[in-house]
Amino acid sequence: MENCQKINEVTKNVKKSRVGLEENKERNNQTYWWLVFGAVLLLTAWSRFHKVSEPDHVCWDETHFGKMGSWYINRTFFFDVHPPLGKMLIALSGYLTGYDGRFAFEKPGDKYEGVNYVGMRVFCTLLGACIVPFAFIIVWEMTHSLTASTLSASFILCDVGILTLTQYILLDPILLFFVMGSVLGMVKFHSCKDRAFSFSWWAWLVFTGIMIASAISVKFVGLFVVILVGTHTAADLWDVLGDLSKPISYTLRHFLARAVCLIFLPALLYVIFFYIHLVVLNRSGNGDGFYSSAFQSQLEGNSLYNASMPREVAYGAVITLKNHRTGGGYLHSHWHLYPEGVGARQQQVTTYTHKDDNNLFIVKKYNSELMDDDDDAVEIVKNGDLIRLEHVTTRRNIHSHKEMAPISKKHYQVTGYGENGTGDANDVWKVLIVDGKEDESVTTVSSKLKFIHYLQHCVLTSSGKQLPKWAYEQQEVSCNSNMRDKNALWNVEDNIFPKLPNVSFAVYAPSFLERFFESHAVMFQGNSGLKPKEGEVTSRPWQWPVNYRGQFFSGNSYRIYLLGNPVIWWGNLVFLAIFLIIFAYNSVREQRGYLDPPSVKESKHRVFSACGWLFLGWALHYVPFWAMGRVLYFHHYFPALLFSSMLTGIILNYMLDSISRLLPKRMANGMYHWFIGVIFSATVYSFYLFSPLAYGMSGPSASDPNSTMYGLRWIESWEF
Amino acid sequence: MESEKRNKKIQSTMKSSRKYAKGKSNFIFENKSCVEDVGRYLEKGAECLKSKSDTHADESPALQRDEGDGESVPEMAVEDTYPASSNMTCVSTVQRFHVNIELDIMAVMLFLAGLATRMYRLEEPRSIVFDELHYGKYVSLYMKRTFFFDSHPPFGKQLIAAVAYLAGFDGQFKFDRIGSSYSETVPLFALRLVPAVCGSLIIPTTYHLMLELGLTQWTAALAGFLLLCDNAMLAQSRFILMESMLLLFALFGLLCILKFRRYHYHPYCLQWWLWLSLGAASLTCALCVKYVGFFSCCLGASVVGRDCWRLLSDRRLSDGAILCQLLTRLLVLTAIPTAIYLTIFYIHLAVLSRAGPHDSVMTSAFQASLEGGLASITRGQPLEIAHGSQITLRHSHGRTCWLHSHAHVYPIRYPDKRGSSHQQQVTCYSFKDVNNWWIVKRPQRNDLVVSQPVDAIRHGDVIQLVHGMTSRALNSHDVAAAMSPQNQEVSCYIDYNVSMPAQNLWRVDIINRDQVGDIWHTIESLVRLVHVNSSQALKFSGRQLPDWGFNQHEVVTDRILHQDDTVWNVEEHRYTKNEDQKDRERELVNAEMIPLRPTSLSFWEKFLELQYKMLFANQENVQNHMYSSEPLEWPFMARGIAYWVSPHSNAQVHLLGNLVVWLSGSVSLILYSILLTFYLIRRRRHCYDLTPDTWYRFVVVGEVLLLGFLFHYVPYFFVERTLFLHHYLPAFTFKVLLMAALVEHLHHVFCETLSWRLGLAVFKLLAGAWLVAVLVVFRRFSVLSYGTIPLSAADILRLRWRDSWDFILHRQ
Repeated sequence: MENCQKINEVTKNVKKSRVGLEENKERNNQTYWWLVFGAVLLLTAWSRFHKVSEPDHVCWDETHFGKMGSWYINRTFFFDVHPPLGKMLIALSGYLTGYDGRFAFEKPGDKYEGVNYVGMRVFCTLLGACIVPFAFIIVWEMTHSLTASTLSASFILCDVGILTLTQYILLDPILLFFVMGSVLGMVKFHSCKDRAFSFSWWAWLVFTGIMIASAISVKFVGLFVVILVGTHTAADLWDVLGDLSKPISYTLRHFLARAVCLIFLPALLYVIFFYIHLVVLNRSGNGDGFYSSAFQSQLEGNSLYNASMPREVAYGAVITLKNHRTGGGYLHSHWHLYPEGVGARQQQVTTYTHKDDNNLFIVKKYNSELMDDDDDAVEIVKNGDLIRLEHVTTRRNIHSHKEMAPISKKHYQVTGYGENGTGDANDVWKVLIVDGKEDESVTTVSSKLKFIHYLQHCVLTSSGKQLPKWAYEQQEVSCNSNMRDKNALWNVEDNIFPKLPNVSFAVYAPSFLERFFESHAVMFQGNSGLKPKEGEVTSRPWQWPVNYRGQFFSGNSYRIYLLGNPVIWWGNLVFLAIFLIIFAYNSVREQRGYLDPPSVKESKHRVFSACGWLFLGWALHYVPFWAMGRVLYFHHYFPALLFSSMLTGIILNYMLDSISRLLPKRMANGMYHWFIGVIFSATVYSFYLFSPLAYGMSGPSASDPNSTMYGLRWIESWEF
Repeated sequence: MESEKRNKKIQSTMKSSRKYAKGKSNFIFENKSCVEDVGRYLEKGAECLKSKSDTHADESPALQRDEGDGESVPEMAVEDTYPASSNMTCVSTVQRFHVNIELDIMAVMLFLAGLATRMYRLEEPRSIVFDELHYGKYVSLYMKRTFFFDSHPPFGKQLIAAVAYLAGFDGQFKFDRIGSSYSETVPLFALRLVPAVCGSLIIPTTYHLMLELGLTQWTAALAGFLLLCDNAMLAQSRFILMESMLLLFALFGLLCILKFRRYHYHPYCLQWWLWLSLGAASLTCALCVKYVGFFSCCLGASVVGRDCWRLLSDRRLSDGAILCQLLTRLLVLTAIPTAIYLTIFYIHLAVLSRAGPHDSVMTSAFQASLEGGLASITRGQPLEIAHGSQITLRHSHGRTCWLHSHAHVYPIRYPDKRGSSHQQQVTCYSFKDVNNWWIVKRPQRNDLVVSQPVDAIRHGDVIQLVHGMTSRALNSHDVAAAMSPQNQEVSCYIDYNVSMPAQNLWRVDIINRDQVGDIWHTIESLVRLVHVNSSQALKFSGRQLPDWGFNQHEVVTDRILHQDDTVWNVEEHRYTKNEDQKDRERELVNAEMIPLRPTSLSFWEKFLELQYKMLFANQENVQNHMYSSEPLEWPFMARGIAYWVSPHSNAQVHLLGNLVVWLSGSVSLILYSILLTFYLIRRRRHCYDLTPDTWYRFVVVGEVLLLGFLFHYVPYFFVERTLFLHHYLPAFTFKVLLMAALVEHLHHVFCETLSWRLGLAVFKLLAGAWLVAVLVVFRRFSVLSYGTIPLSAADILRLRWRDSWDFILHRQ
């Protein structure tokens, strides 16, 4: 009996001590984890902030984003193809650190000379630096393997390319930060799944929502990470749905929570960012011309701001016509004729982007001159009316006939014709209001108009193509028989007619939503307009992963060259391939019905699902570029690179684990550590070798045998 | 009990079949006996089935053959050789037997209906309709054996050309513009025959395809009927256009692949090989008609791939056996396509042996290998470039032009206030000219004569290039080029004594020295001229110079050596015999070469070059074409394409689909996706609404048809070229098939799953009304597909159901 009790006690004690041991081990592990994490943080901080203020001149695209930051500080309106958040953050950081927005950022290589630029650099670098710890935590959450996390973080830490890209006033560090933040939120949220609807669950969900909204508000490339998070969420929901122990309403709650935090919240944030953008930029600037007349009337300093003119267009009114195309000019004519050999030798008609007296036209009836001045009867121009447009300065009518237009050979030429306002039947145009009702009056600014030539049945179009010198490089105007041409829309901008009362322009003020949508239309058009010119050498997607060619950040004596650390990049490629092979092999094995022991199976499952998501992330951030027609740059690959680097860390660790499992224990331990050592030292050494690319090189270029970098020019296409 | 039920079912389908067949006969067939035939056979089938289900498992093949008619024998022979192995397949054979008799009559009827609609007054309108302009021209060039360049592969054109050849077309007709009428000598019927027959064959093919997907014969017939009654398919099949051939090969290939699927458990039997290789061959043919066929190939591959994946899970097979099967499939699916593809191009290149209008797209070597054209000039030239050679240097890839200079200098200042070197211009000129001649000179020698032995230039040698007419040397220096400021300017050096020394040394890099050797050869060697001082390569920049440069193209040097635009080759070549500059000039002006020896290229060289050009050549883009449309507009048919309009009346051909079919197709696409999601979610919650059989069929339909639609539709969103409505036709076909399958599914759901009488009745009523609407709309718009009937302006306006449809009206 006593014996029994004793034994019991002993076992209890043993158990207790075992629990204690495990706790101890746990605690040990945790301290260990924090130690490693701390080391990563320190190294990151040191590597990123080293020489952050050098070079002290404008580098590469700093000229754009620095300039845009200044515009935000000066509140002048501009146009850019990217959404506003990144630039607003740059501006904010500049504002807070005392940059006054005076520096011109004219071209790369301009000296800063006393300008407070360091604040903006430090801010971008800080965001860029966060990528490394983010990667560490992401991989940790996905695999719970300290080695894998450290490997992944170190690959990102030691990549010279990421270091270079995140040290300057650019959108990319901000974008990368938000992309990694989104993934971090996604995995953190996933690991809270057994604590559904708890505080941390909600917190991470909201965090993810904010991050994806920010990512897509920096550059549209952020859309890819949104898709990644969306897919992950859908998969998550699918799991929830498959849990038959919970009622369907439970799934519904999950769905609603995600819809609110990952769809509505981000959409709202996105709109808010644009709201701030449009509210802050309230002064006229160089971006005005891209927007419609109504939009421009909202900008202080624009000639349309607070203007007032008659609401409706009457016969006899002096008007200007603006083409509705983005960046479209005003219909224009001047005393010069088309040169010999370009259609009929009549007066030129063009569009001109600046305001000028030659943009003024009088609206007249097609068959009669104007009534006398004292007659008070005012006749408004209606939808479908036949009119003439007489140029005020030269008194010639807008005219078209069956001659080829100067550049668009399929269109008819448009000229100024007639003497003192009398021309011929080819001067008659039919006014159509787009989507207008019959007998609707033509109004200033808000009516979208088409002018259809009555005899030739073609529509007055501004092709946007530049004419040669004889027309002072203004843009071509022609008459197109394709009535659906998108460039055939015009609107009346100025309307001078004393007999009608003037109305304040405020009535045309577009609402925020209208301005929001117009900004998007303009941005997309701008984006699709970024086509490579014939003969121009652009970077192609296949070149990126192989690190084929870099990008100069700073040219002169102090050279910075954006190029990935080749050891890491090529390693990434190899391990990507290895992952695919292992994955395919495993799937086939599984399909063939070979089973693994449960312990192996679980770890495998964890590794493969982690790698699968990272691979999807890589593919989403890389493959779409193959289908893009616009100009592409090397730095577009960096988001994909982050995913690829994390994947490398995980798969490397998995391989080391699997190999060491095959070997006898003692040997395995040795080999494992030996390999880890080799990998780390190779990574760090390659970083040391290539770090001058990021921290600046001077002396002769690497093609010169005397240069210190001569031996590092492993591929001929590297130009540092 | 079970058999009774089945009989009932058959009777009910019979009833509906009669109704349906009669409805059709009103419009297309006057032949009542045909319809009755169907009924008779149906009854026979039912009887047969009844007797069969009594005897059940051990059916005799002989009985089947007794009942069948002559046409279905080969079909059944297939069945006979493979007696059913399990009870399950046995039942399906019973059903299939029943199907087989139906199938042929129905298929033949559909085919005849197709022929009747497609061939009706095929020779009208007797003028060039839309893209007949291109394809007709290509066919006539085939007749004349003249080389042409087209970015689409040649198989479709070859088929038409073959028929045209048999009909005695001489190719003399000039295809000048859309609308001009054909001369009497053109065998128009023969030219339009192939597309029309293919267009008719599409219909029975889809019918069989649907049967193969496990759907009933009525669904299959419905699919055929819908395609038959689509105006876009009709119009597209009636003229010399490629889509009907493309579609036929793609659908037939898919059908073969599905038939192949049936022999999943009997690998390596005759049928297994037959269907697999037929499928591969047919899909390759689709690819060879238009590269869009690639998506059909992907679809076929994905079907085979899925089967392979299922095969893996079969534990009864050993690893080796599976590997063997996979490898066999892989082998068949690569060997046959490659062989066919190469054969077609071999024929293409073998037939087109004469030089023609598109020569300049190809390299000098390719051109020289054609009869006439460049070959007649370059024959008999010396092969090796040497010191003293007179050459013309052609820009090898992309735009055809030759390195050129003339006695004019760069303007001192450009409009943007940059300065130039004010030296002699060097350009790339697209026409033959005496100023394109250059003399190769070694820097250390001062004479310009070729001496014996010939001092040949090798890879890596440094040379100077002296312009023949002005005797100035090709030079480059650190001055920004006129149009591309990031590059260096290239000029012919004039010594102004302004401390700007000549930098006129160039290193010859022979790129393809592995093939042609180290010595610089005429035509064959592709060279890169690297400027010695700056290590930059001579490059055609693609930009045009303004008036002062006579609008010729700019030549610069570029830091990036490895690009297509830095590649040049010698085209014309002769040895300088005369030392005196004046004599040399006279010689240059008067020179004429005597042909001695033809250049010949192997098939492989020609094939690879042609492929490269076809896939990567910048296609001239018809921007802002009046009738171009966007992929998003297609499912709702927002725009048509005006194909032709009669010069005398408003009779016209306008590509426009059957609005009812198109819209209901789009709706059914959405409905299918919704249903699929719904079922998936339900199944995830372990609620199985459908019987496994129905569910399996529903999924298979999606796997093949929905995927087929996506494969043929989604890629267009990423295409930069101008797109037209007819690009949608392959996707449209899959959409229509999916719609027919969905109709059957809905019928089944109403009938079996819900067994809701009223719903079923309403459904049937709606379906009937829908079919009538399809027919009515088809008839109304068929005037626009045929273009044979003169219409008044009012008629045309009545047909304009949407504002976005732009028909052509002559003004009175």
